[in-house]
Amino acid sequence: MLQNNPQPESDLRGESRHKSELLSNVMSDFIKDKLWAIIALNTSPEEADWLQQKGLSDPLELMTAFVAVPRSLPKKVVNVSQDELSALSTEFSGFSILGWSLVRVSRVWLLTQLDPSDRHEYVKNIETLFDTAEMNELVALYSALPLLSYPDQWLFRATDAVRSNMGFVFDAIALHNPYPEKYFGEPAWNQLVLKAIFNDKPIHFIEGLENRANEQLSITISDFAHERWAAGRTVSPQVWRLVGKYMTPALLSDMQHLFGSENTEDQKGAALACAESSLPAANNLLIQYPNLEQSVKSGVLTWADLEH
Amino acid sequence: MCLNRNETAPNPSHFEESEEAVAAPAHREIAWNDYRDLIKGMRFFDPHIHMVSRTTDDYQAMHQAGIVALIEPAFWLGQPRTGLSSFKDYYSSLVGWERFRSSQFGIKHYCTMGLNSREANNEPLAEQVMEILPLYIYKEGVVGVGEIGFDDQTPAEEKYYRLQLELAKEAKLPVQIHTPHRDKKKGTERSMAIALEHGLDPSWVIVDHNNEETVKSVLDQGFWAAFTIYPFTKMGNERMVKVVEQYGPERIMVNSAADWGISDPLAIPKTAALMKMRGISAETIRLVTYQNAIDAFGKSGQIDVSDFESASSIDQTEKFHGNSILRGGQQPAPAKDSLVIQ
Repeated sequence: MLQNNPQPESDLRGESRHKSELLSNVMSDFIKDKLWAIIALNTSPEEADWLQQKGLSDPLELMTAFVAVPRSLPKKVVNVSQDELSALSTEFSGFSILGWSLVRVSRVWLLTQLDPSDRHEYVKNIETLFDTAEMNELVALYSALPLLSYPDQWLFRATDAVRSNMGFVFDAIALHNPYPEKYFGEPAWNQLVLKAIFNDKPIHFIEGLENRANEQLSITISDFAHERWAAGRTVSPQVWRLVGKYMTPALLSDMQHLFGSENTEDQKGAALACAESSLPAANNLLIQYPNLEQSVKSGVLTWADLEH
Repeated sequence: MCLNRNETAPNPSHFEESEEAVAAPAHREIAWNDYRDLIKGMRFFDPHIHMVSRTTDDYQAMHQAGIVALIEPAFWLGQPRTGLSSFKDYYSSLVGWERFRSSQFGIKHYCTMGLNSREANNEPLAEQVMEILPLYIYKEGVVGVGEIGFDDQTPAEEKYYRLQLELAKEAKLPVQIHTPHRDKKKGTERSMAIALEHGLDPSWVIVDHNNEETVKSVLDQGFWAAFTIYPFTKMGNERMVKVVEQYGPERIMVNSAADWGISDPLAIPKTAALMKMRGISAETIRLVTYQNAIDAFGKSGQIDVSDFESASSIDQTEKFHGNSILRGGQQPAPAKDSLVIQ
């Protein structure tokens, strides 16, 4: 049971909360059906029957099944067509199950089958699953956050996943998950992005990375880069995609540093960031590197080139 | 922690009764470089080791020595617990954080779940633990109920031992029995008799911490006999070689039971090297240091050898968009011999 669940209202994005409460029922029905269709294609009739029957059972049996899925279903990655993937992400922006195991998809589907009508019971059941979860169960639970009812209820849990040092758990909330973009306040969002950068995660897999860029984050990234450089370490060149719109004279000197780097990707990152800035000084800096300037302005060079 | 080997304070569970410490055996140095070649290409499975009490250096050394998978039995904390939450946190760590930590070093981590015999003596708490235990034993990678059995051999210990045998039967899981340090022979016999009384198939029961005095009866009755190579208090590996010479490899397995006491996470590779030096066949070594443990605990249905026998030891289902950096990342190995830390 959850003892403390601090949910400062300021940490919640009011506009999207309202919208998503309205949408959540419609959306999860669609997703439920889609997920089931994918599961059906990836299981034998016996396996599908087992899962379907568990999905219809009382909460306790359903929760036990959530735990026991790997004892009944094979360990494999689901086959999912490009069409199915697009259907999922069109209906529910940012939601993707590419590369998920069958166990993970099935667990997420089981969670969508929990009856949400009694909020207290529903929350208690989900919290129990969190409290007793092993690593793969945590991954499934965090993957399912955007599909659960009462989305604002899970904010504390979600920020806890960002605090996790288990890479898989962090990835489950941070990458390809639409929940943080919708519900994290700015401090929590910035913490997620910074931790992803700090751990050399591919930040382009963070949903809403560009939408949620902000001035405070750009300042902290500059500080972070200085620490790395002082230690003789490097910074992933694509982090500079988060600073273009918030360019300052201080950040411009970082850009200068990058243009002088031996790593051509650093130079490319600086060129792209300068091009995104409305500061005249940024443009003046960029035109000193005509080759890079031309690549950026002609669209030959984009951030996608730095996404590793 | 009783680091003085002549001290007999019964603190860490496996570090007791140091009668051998007094008559220390002839000192023999065999450095890693000397035995590395003897075990080259061998794979080891340690079916009993408490990684929560070990360092990252141990994980790296184990990986380097060929240990590809291990089982961490649930045991106690070294001091009494103050409530149910510490059981929950501990059980969760066995399937969560510790499992992840192990994966970072390329070692597949399994566990057995159970209420330790010492802790069975706190009956009010034991009662609550029994209520939550079923939540954990069905988890992925839980390969048995353990380590359970007797410590002081009190009525409370017997009560919870019996209840957990029933739980194992219901969940179709093997049982890992801890045999007591004191009054071992009687305790071992009693553990086996009770298991049989509850209708357990002895081929589903691993009796741990055997010695020369207990092994015959354990094997004769059809149980698996595990031996713990643990300095001073349990088996030494020279004695182990003799046991294998006498009884052969059938249903015998070796473990380290390394914990917070003076113990050795490389007990298995070292024992394998010693067996090789003494002319024991490669197949026998493979059985007692690897295969038998897999056969015994594999009855749980939770061990898929392809998870650790494939060269990469990367679980394909844990890959994310085919990008291995997203697996949580294996730890880079720092240059240990270098004075410079980067």
